[in-house]
Amino acid sequence: MVGMDKNDHASIRAVLSGDKDAYGALVARHSQSLFRVAYRITGNEADAEDVVQEAFLRGYRKLATFASRSDFGTWIYRIAVRCALDRIASRKVDESRRAANEDDPELQAVQVADTAAGPDRLLLSKEIGALQETAMRGLTPTERAAFILRHLEDRCTDEIAAALGIAPNAAKHAVYRAVHKLRQRLALLRVGT
Amino acid sequence: MKHLDEEQLIEHYYGEDRDPGPAERHLAECAECEAKYSALQADLSDLRATDIPFRGSAYGERVWESITPSLPEVPDRELLWMRPVLWRGLVYAAGIAVLVAVTFYAGRMWEHAKAPVTAVKPSAPLPQPSKEVQRVVVVVLSDHLDRSERLLVELKHADAGSSELLSPLRDEARTLLSANRICERQAEESDDPQLEKTLASLDRLLTGLADQPDGLNSAALARLQQEMKAEGLLFEVRVLRSKMPTRNPDNKHAL
Repeated sequence: MVGMDKNDHASIRAVLSGDKDAYGALVARHSQSLFRVAYRITGNEADAEDVVQEAFLRGYRKLATFASRSDFGTWIYRIAVRCALDRIASRKVDESRRAANEDDPELQAVQVADTAAGPDRLLLSKEIGALQETAMRGLTPTERAAFILRHLEDRCTDEIAAALGIAPNAAKHAVYRAVHKLRQRLALLRVGT
Repeated sequence: MKHLDEEQLIEHYYGEDRDPGPAERHLAECAECEAKYSALQADLSDLRATDIPFRGSAYGERVWESITPSLPEVPDRELLWMRPVLWRGLVYAAGIAVLVAVTFYAGRMWEHAKAPVTAVKPSAPLPQPSKEVQRVVVVVLSDHLDRSERLLVELKHADAGSSELLSPLRDEARTLLSANRICERQAEESDDPQLEKTLASLDRLLTGLADQPDGLNSAALARLQQEMKAEGLLFEVRVLRSKMPTRNPDNKHAL
């Protein structure tokens, strides 16, 4: 990890000195982790790829503001989380329409049954994934991101707060609300199946 | 026994509780909370089942290739004045400067508002006489010196043969004697040696003049005239009297 930090800082110095290609090393090193969190937040491969590219573009433009004492991986990760939230916000209208439909327990049962009816959904893990994704759509973007960072990315409350640009206490309560809602929805969806 | 609520259970599940000991002990003792916690664990473990689409080892290179055309040759060189930290610092500094200025101005206003009160209070206990009192003393003294001068002039030109004139001089001397003693006390308090000396000489002369129950005889008159001349008393009284109009009542030495 320390070696990686040293490599990152050397690359950053090179980029700031005018060596544009040195940024390629940073992109190669952190693309996977950014795609992972972007996919988890957006729930969509195409969106996740766009988020990764957008995050690295933003990072490049803002590289002069990057504090050398910080960890580049953490810094670009936070940018990616913001980009993912922006992406969710841009499709807010569609999401809210879908969420409104899913608030109807009858429709929820039908939708889950439909998604589980295909041959690719017969495996239990796939079914759980479908249930989870359906339940996740009922969360606000902040709740969804906070839950993903806490539950799937193992980030502590302070890191979540920094990534989302909110107070630590607000981040903690966003996680509580997300877990509460997800459990309620999953219970409903299980009954529906 | 106080049960753990859902927030506490979630906090404990993620290891965010500062001291997990109490929650663990409670869960070991309370079947109800233990059941809730087990259900929470089951639900949250189900939520771990998301698969991330695989991106090969060359994914980073692909990302780099896709963004390279969009990158400027060099990252934005952020000017110092554009930094949010600098602006925040400037805003804080300006705020503090305004606060200090307002506090300073308010303090000055408060002092001005209080000034009349503080000026009156210390003047009240001062032992010095007020201007009005000093003015009265000066008038009394001036009047006394004026009457004394007239008496001394009459005494200087008095003739032992004119007895009708001598009795009024004696009576006037008796009247002036009491006034002279009051003025002497004032002169002592005002620490004016010249005035004290003159009034003391005047006191002796007035005493000698007043202590003549049967009127002034020629010998007594001559002695008083001689005494007055020897001490230059008339001259001294005239000098003091001439100074009286110009003497400043505010100056304690004026008395």
